[in-house]
Amino acid sequence: MSASIGTRLARLEQVSYWYPNQDEPSLREVDLEIEPGLTLIAGDSGGGKSTLLRLFDGLVPQFHGGRVSGRAEIGGVDPFRTPIPILAQRAGLVFQDVETQSVYGTVEREIAFGLENLGVPRAEMHDRVDELMAALGIESLTGRRLETLSGGERQRVQLAAVLALRPQLVALDEPTSQLDPEGAAAVLAACVGLAADGRAVVVAEHRLETLAPAADRRLTVEGGRVTVGAAEMPGRSGPGPARRAAGPPGIAGDAAAAGDPAWELRDVVAGPAGRSREPVLHDLSLAGGRGEVVALLGPNGSGKTTLLRTLAGLLSPLAGTVRRPAGRTAYLPQNPGALLHLPTVRAEVALTLRRTGGRDEPEEMLAAFGLERLADRYPRDLSSGERQRAALAATVAGSPTLVLLDEPTRGMDRAARRSLAAAVETLTAGGSAVVLATHDTELAAELADRTIELRGGLAVEMARRPQRALAAAAGEVPFGGGSR
Amino acid sequence: MTGPPAASPATAAAPATAAARAAPAPRAALAPRAWLVWSLAAVTVALVTDNPVYRGLVALVALNVLLTWLPPGRRVRPLAVAVLVTATLAALINLLAGHTGADVIARLPEWLPLVGGPLTLESLAFGGAIGLGLVAALFSVAPLSLVLEPHDVVDAMPAALERTGIAVATSLNLVSGFGRTFTEVRDAQRMRGWKPAGLRSWNEVLVPVILTAIEDSVRLAEAMEARAFGAGRRTSYAASGIGAGEAVVVVAALAAATLFVGLRIAGVAMDWYPYPTISFPPINPILVLACLGLALPAFPLPTHPSAAPPGRAA
Repeated sequence: MSASIGTRLARLEQVSYWYPNQDEPSLREVDLEIEPGLTLIAGDSGGGKSTLLRLFDGLVPQFHGGRVSGRAEIGGVDPFRTPIPILAQRAGLVFQDVETQSVYGTVEREIAFGLENLGVPRAEMHDRVDELMAALGIESLTGRRLETLSGGERQRVQLAAVLALRPQLVALDEPTSQLDPEGAAAVLAACVGLAADGRAVVVAEHRLETLAPAADRRLTVEGGRVTVGAAEMPGRSGPGPARRAAGPPGIAGDAAAAGDPAWELRDVVAGPAGRSREPVLHDLSLAGGRGEVVALLGPNGSGKTTLLRTLAGLLSPLAGTVRRPAGRTAYLPQNPGALLHLPTVRAEVALTLRRTGGRDEPEEMLAAFGLERLADRYPRDLSSGERQRAALAATVAGSPTLVLLDEPTRGMDRAARRSLAAAVETLTAGGSAVVLATHDTELAAELADRTIELRGGLAVEMARRPQRALAAAAGEVPFGGGSR
Repeated sequence: MTGPPAASPATAAAPATAAARAAPAPRAALAPRAWLVWSLAAVTVALVTDNPVYRGLVALVALNVLLTWLPPGRRVRPLAVAVLVTATLAALINLLAGHTGADVIARLPEWLPLVGGPLTLESLAFGGAIGLGLVAALFSVAPLSLVLEPHDVVDAMPAALERTGIAVATSLNLVSGFGRTFTEVRDAQRMRGWKPAGLRSWNEVLVPVILTAIEDSVRLAEAMEARAFGAGRRTSYAASGIGAGEAVVVVAALAAATLFVGLRIAGVAMDWYPYPTISFPPINPILVLACLGLALPAFPLPTHPSAAPPGRAA
């Protein structure tokens, strides 16, 4: 497909970019043209995807500083020099985190914010907001407060807020990494609709499978280099952990059923904020054995986090009993990058080992998570996926007997997922019991001995075997499926 | 792209949309600027006189207005408790430390520092008037946080302060995230073996929480920049005009404030001084009327069709 001048919305020629105080460029000699239609960007976390997207609307280098070389043209203007408000009308960017991109508290105001900044007359502003809400199927959200919306609804409001400025190029930086499957599907469907409508839509995503059939072209960004064409499909590539092939499945589950649970919740009633609110778990009973992986599925608000926090001992149950194995319990919260504060990744891991009396060396943990290269970096300078991995290593260090993981694959790329799977493998082989709460049906299918769905505060056992049916139902390819 | 769903005939849909606009949520149907003027006027009246009759009237009127407009889900009780505790403390302090006045109601031993000596009816009454002033002032500004949304406060700001208003409004958005991050980080560090032991140990929780807050702010700033913040002269999604009802509210509020300030400057006696012997405060019917005029927002008034754009309201 050769680009004609008329349809080309973005062109980069030999563009390299260095963040401030960095010797290594984050983008290297990028040559690229973006045309109308859907462009998917694959590539590991930290490879430069976010940086590339920020180049389109001038945030790189204008907001972030640093040094840039090469030539670029976005919608006919130079993104390195043109003021961002002008660029914003040519290229828009939707960010990963729905909360840190909201300015106002209510839906229409949020969508109109960019228009207010441009001094658009009020009547036109109302027309544009109405049109967009209809186009994105969110008219029913009129007048709602953002905090009452689901993640998928909020992300579509943010998409509308960016589209309000009528950019012909819209970039989305991992827009669904924090959404449940339903919300993700709605956002991705909106992307496909926009591309069909003649815009250039550029999506950096880990869940590429859903979008792949609709994609007009694919790019891979790795080590700051952009290559055109489909990378290997995540999930079909590389040897996934062959855990399930190693032995007959369900043994650990049977052991638990035989009356030797490592952990147990019996008739537990619990609420997210202790005693002050309505309980979300009602007379819930659940147990897991040593070496067994239990996956908790269920929509946002179904009580997955409450269950994990109760099991961790961070939340006292209103009624019922909680039993944990002797030894250390490891707990990975949502947004785990928030807990990192030491100067290096190695120091974070070493701190946990020291505190918990773990005998392992930090180097072993770092290697297990593929963090050797990043060991001396400041954790907060890492990409979101790398940070997630560093936090995971710092959390599960110290040979825990019970490991609780809350949405461990949120924002993770396939390399990080692979090291997570390998880590779970190692932990369970050592006899740790693992409970993970996730929206990621692929992960559940891949790792879990038992899959439990929380519904209305009760636990419903979905499967006692790794099941592909669940992932297939969601229209996704099971992670590591190609290796079997 | 598809148009709006044709679920109902256009004629039926139009008024519904307009109604939804006029009251996006039932709260700020009174224009934000009218709220701001009313609040400032009521505070002025409450603080410019120490006459407990006027202060009491303003307090009652402001509470009435607040309760009329309080959005569902927001509670006035915590504020009311805080206000009453503050007022009671003010009255008590004046009673215990005043010692002036003719009508002694009790005596504390003279050797007690500060509070020792006669406790008089007059100092209790004067303390009560001080407390009443605080109640009136706090109830008068309460709607700005309890009734209005942060973006309403932005709309109410004079153009020169609009950017500041947005900075304040967006930082308020991050407050809820701050609390959640604190709980998350504290729990996560605890599970990594951290135990609270003295002030220094809290570094391990507070440092990551603050770093995360800074990162969140930078992300928000980036998102605002990407949506053309700082481009130049802004417009507002909300209508800036005010309707007949709001005009009445504003005129009444300004009249009350002007009257009280004017009389104070002119030296007309409207204050109340209970010493040395307590007396009933002087009452001027015009000033009572001015205070009652502040109650107008509590009545159903023809307000501006606030969010409906010009040309569409009809």
